[in-house]
Amino acid sequence: MTQGMSADERDLLAAEYVLGIAEADRVAICERLLREDTTFAPLVETWRARFSELDWTAVPEPTGHELWSRIQSGLQAPEKAGFREQTRTQEAIDTPLRGDGGVASALAQAWRSLGLWRGFGLAATAACLTLAVALASLLAERSSTPIFVTIMAPDGNGRPAAIVNTFRDGRNELVPLSAVNVPKGRTLQVWTLWDREKGPVSVGLIDSMKSIDLVVNGLPPARADQLFEITLEPEGGSPTGRPTGPILMKGNAMRTL
Amino acid sequence: MPALAMPVPLAPHDDRELTAALRRCADGDETALRHIYERLSAQMLGVAIRLLRRRDIAEEVVHDTFLRIWQKAASFDPERGRPSAWIFAILRYRALNVLRGEARIELVDDFEPMGLTDDGPNAEMMVARLSDESALRGCLDRLEPPKRHAIVLAYTHGLSHGELAGRLGVPLGTIKSWIRRSILALRECMA
Repeated sequence: MTQGMSADERDLLAAEYVLGIAEADRVAICERLLREDTTFAPLVETWRARFSELDWTAVPEPTGHELWSRIQSGLQAPEKAGFREQTRTQEAIDTPLRGDGGVASALAQAWRSLGLWRGFGLAATAACLTLAVALASLLAERSSTPIFVTIMAPDGNGRPAAIVNTFRDGRNELVPLSAVNVPKGRTLQVWTLWDREKGPVSVGLIDSMKSIDLVVNGLPPARADQLFEITLEPEGGSPTGRPTGPILMKGNAMRTL
Repeated sequence: MPALAMPVPLAPHDDRELTAALRRCADGDETALRHIYERLSAQMLGVAIRLLRRRDIAEEVVHDTFLRIWQKAASFDPERGRPSAWIFAILRYRALNVLRGEARIELVDDFEPMGLTDDGPNAEMMVARLSDESALRGCLDRLEPPKRHAIVLAYTHGLSHGELAGRLGVPLGTIKSWIRRSILALRECMA
């Protein structure tokens, strides 16, 4: 099947595999090549190195002692072989997988209750939205009505962490909904991406989550879908004028009714 | 454990440190795995949540990954890549397995029907967060925006060709050719 595959085809296959977009049949070809053809693994490694920087654009999520404790107890637990068949093998990274350990059973259990989770997730989402919209409208009544409301949440969805109300007079008010634990020597910096060509622009610097008016002097009026985000930066703000730290929350402006 | 870890792409001295920690893991030193956990677990969980959207499942994948690191540390070869890339490859591999496996349908983004997320700005912000010196960033910037979005969303959110077609509003065939052409352009640009 891979006979006569051109160098370009092989490289495309390696790239699609690393991107995670290869379909099951192409993944199977990849994994066979990784096992059988020593010239294929370097292609995969090269693409992995090229794309790996994108892993550092994810918002880090604090992990705690509980997860570590579970990992630690997993280290001591004897491996239960062949619990769950893997659909893909892992040669590119190490030697082939032979069944999975006890961890898989926890995962398998989690899957079984996924239907339940989904229902719960939807309900929670709806509740969060209702809450955010209710809050936004409440705040709107107290001042003038915002023309846009941006609901900011970690990774753009989930539980709202702050909102930005944009008013007709150009004022942008940040209203926090949850506290952020800011490490010593760090600052929260608020950004907006109005124009991709210009990149994100800093519109506020705060040492803790509190209501402020964002500094949008010189920026064109806000528009629908304009992105707002808060990143964690060194004290005094990003040294480069662009976000350098993790995105703690973000959201796109939505036009109010 | 710090409340918030900074996602600073690792410097060469971190590579040495992580390589040494992996060697110690291979020798059965649990404190070395703990060290890796403290250094990378927050970023790993962030990557897993971005792909899987469910914290519980993402934590399981991170958990799994650490056991895998522990079992396979001896097979890490610093000649073949950076230790962090090796670790994130294991993580991504496991997360994608979950995404492409039985959970695929269940994990489809709840937000899609509500149209709450606009993927373009999301993808652009991720690109903007790559360092200015980044070769990847320079080369992604040279792609037309929809193609750039397709590549970035595929890698970071684990979207399939079909999902990308739906999210970006173009036919499946178009997405497939965008991805292929973008890969070839990136290869040329990053060579």
